[in-house]
Amino acid sequence: MDLLWSPTDIAFRDEVRNFLDEKLTAELRQSGRLMTSVYSDHEASLTWQRILHDRGWAAPAWPVEYGGCDWSLTQHYVFSRESTLAGAPSLSPMGIRMVAHAIVRFGTKAQKDYFLPRILTGEVFFCQGYSEPEAGSDLAALSMTAVDDGDDLVCTGSKIWTTHAREANWMFALVRTSRGGKKQQGITFVLLEMTSPGVDVRPLVMTSGEEIQNQVFFDEVRVPKSNVVGEIDDGWTVAKYLLEFERGGGASAPALQVMAEEVTAAATAQPGPDGDRLVDDPAFSRKLAEARIRTDVLEVLEYRVLATLADGGHPGSASSMLKILSTELSQTLTELAMEAAGPRGRAYQPHATRPGGPIAQYEPPPDGYVGGEPWQAVAPLRYLNDRAGSIYAGSNEIQRNILAKAALGL
Amino acid sequence: MDFRLSDEQEMLRNGLDKFLATRYGLDRSRAAAKTGAGWQPDMWRAFADDLGILGAALPERVGGSGGGPVEVMVIAESLGHALVVEPYVDTAVVAAGLLLRAGGQAATQVVERIVDGQAVVSLAAAEEQSGDRWLDVATTARRDGTDWVLSGAKMMVLGAPIATHLVITARTDSGVSLFLADVTAVERGLEMHAFRTVDDRRAADLVLDDLRLSDDALLGQEGQAWPSLAQARDEGAAAVCAEAVGAMRRVVADTVEYAKQRHQFGQPIGSFQALQHRMVDMHMELEQSAAAVFLATLNLGADPATRARAVSAAKATIGRAARFVGQNAVQLHGGMGMTEELAIGHYFKRLTAVQYEYGTTDHHVTRYAQLTRR
Repeated sequence: MDLLWSPTDIAFRDEVRNFLDEKLTAELRQSGRLMTSVYSDHEASLTWQRILHDRGWAAPAWPVEYGGCDWSLTQHYVFSRESTLAGAPSLSPMGIRMVAHAIVRFGTKAQKDYFLPRILTGEVFFCQGYSEPEAGSDLAALSMTAVDDGDDLVCTGSKIWTTHAREANWMFALVRTSRGGKKQQGITFVLLEMTSPGVDVRPLVMTSGEEIQNQVFFDEVRVPKSNVVGEIDDGWTVAKYLLEFERGGGASAPALQVMAEEVTAAATAQPGPDGDRLVDDPAFSRKLAEARIRTDVLEVLEYRVLATLADGGHPGSASSMLKILSTELSQTLTELAMEAAGPRGRAYQPHATRPGGPIAQYEPPPDGYVGGEPWQAVAPLRYLNDRAGSIYAGSNEIQRNILAKAALGL
Repeated sequence: MDFRLSDEQEMLRNGLDKFLATRYGLDRSRAAAKTGAGWQPDMWRAFADDLGILGAALPERVGGSGGGPVEVMVIAESLGHALVVEPYVDTAVVAAGLLLRAGGQAATQVVERIVDGQAVVSLAAAEEQSGDRWLDVATTARRDGTDWVLSGAKMMVLGAPIATHLVITARTDSGVSLFLADVTAVERGLEMHAFRTVDDRRAADLVLDDLRLSDDALLGQEGQAWPSLAQARDEGAAAVCAEAVGAMRRVVADTVEYAKQRHQFGQPIGSFQALQHRMVDMHMELEQSAAAVFLATLNLGADPATRARAVSAAKATIGRAARFVGQNAVQLHGGMGMTEELAIGHYFKRLTAVQYEYGTTDHHVTRYAQLTRR
């Protein structure tokens, strides 16, 4: 038993580091460093995806025949960790990390041939149509209707919390094709072109001012049946399969390590309550140390899940535990960053950051003035946006319910 | 012992609440904050003329109604409940207190103009190196003939972009002093970088480049500003605590209402015990906060050590409560709590800012520990 990487893993890590050193421009690093949420600014994200694609690393988790990499799980983790540590922008998860897996597993040959290569290049950019105004935590209660009409399904209803709906040209959505029976039955998984007549996107302004989430309205939108993934009425099977990709097997500790380092650096530069460095203030340094301890331990927990997966096992409810621990730890760290920002943390200066979407109702100062350091402008926006961590992808209350059942048998 | 409001104080509260409920819309105030002038001058006029709140806690000799800390508490709580962005606490509590204690003709005239709604006054105290410690002042004031010349930089001056006057802290050979500047009369030497705060107020960074002020700009005794500043900081903290209680009342009520109406899994989410317990904890944080505001308010006239201990106890309590109530209100509203569509998102931002205003939660816990150490 040990916590060391093998020589092969270390050689691979160096290969990744060299690649990042060479390809990750200062501009891209800046985009990564000044992110205000888990979403990079759209252009930087696509630029980085193209660079990765040229190297064959845009979608390492895909099967090799479709453009994936023949990596061990450790190598996947190393790649993700190094990219994060280097400040690379994040790629949109909806295409590469989500719908692509559904297409690979359940899609027709025509769907694979059309979508997979285009997802890799960014030509096809997906958003996710799951939640509805009345179906959030209770996702299976969704009611957007799809009526059978010859070769098409005719869809009417609304989706909400659709990240990047305006940037996307395709949506993967769950729609209701029949009622009666259990609510999980009668759901169908469709691929829907956002330029179809009858699609209307309304942005939602978040507390950070960012327009990154949307509500999408559908008025008799025609979706060819050839764009159904899996069987009609059996979309829940596809959705459940994908939820595992959304929740489990991630590597969140490296990003949290970076955040903890940033907070430490910030607290070293900022005055504390007695005029010395904030990092020397007993109250603050204790909170920071406790957060860093949680981060170190989370990393080992993630390694253990990784090891289980590598042995062909299933993470099971551990993915719920990792989701809770990582999002709540991230919230703690964004809060410590706010404290480190001091009085500056109250200034609203999104023009000094790289938000994941446009900013509503905001006029930057004509002379581009920024009070304080850019990280101090990032701090409040991250704090606000990060409150979503315990809400999205199954709220942490839902995750605790899952753990109560699955881990404790309650 | 008596926690009842007088008839006059009840009337003040009822009149203000009624006015805010009918005239002060959240949409209009946010629009003014984001894309308009940054505030609503017509509301400020009404505060002075129709409601008389700007002078309610100020002495009759400056045109006020002769009230005190309890009036401030009543007003601030109502303003907090309606999420008012206009700078009542900064101008009518903190700045007015500093000016009154300084005395002198120039200061008294400005207070009179605060009462009648003509003057908005901001305190320029924080600096880049000082963080929130107002006693650490690098800005200097020197004599030049009969004038004062100020040099330095101030940050995060709340209300400065809409202020008619600034009260500026600066250091002379004998210590920290306060200076009054009429912004409308300044021709050179004052550079202002204005921005908005996360809680939709106006603020600015200031560069004082040989800002020349006349002899009577000095407030009070040269070098002797700290006791008055410390008092202003405690009075500001107490008022902001009351404001936070008003905001939390709205947030807890909204959250409970939402939990009753929002259905998932075929029942109201308020029927789930895990969420019920969370809301009960929010309710208890709110009740403790309301009690803590009395503790602070009723000790504002005590000796400095007693006053400081009570205010720190209150601000630490409110800081903890604002965090818990704000964060959980967002969580229980789910995605909707993350948006500007509902009131909750706006209140959450205010409850976040409150934790850092007039001393952070950690600062007040530490100060309390120092004051109670034997």
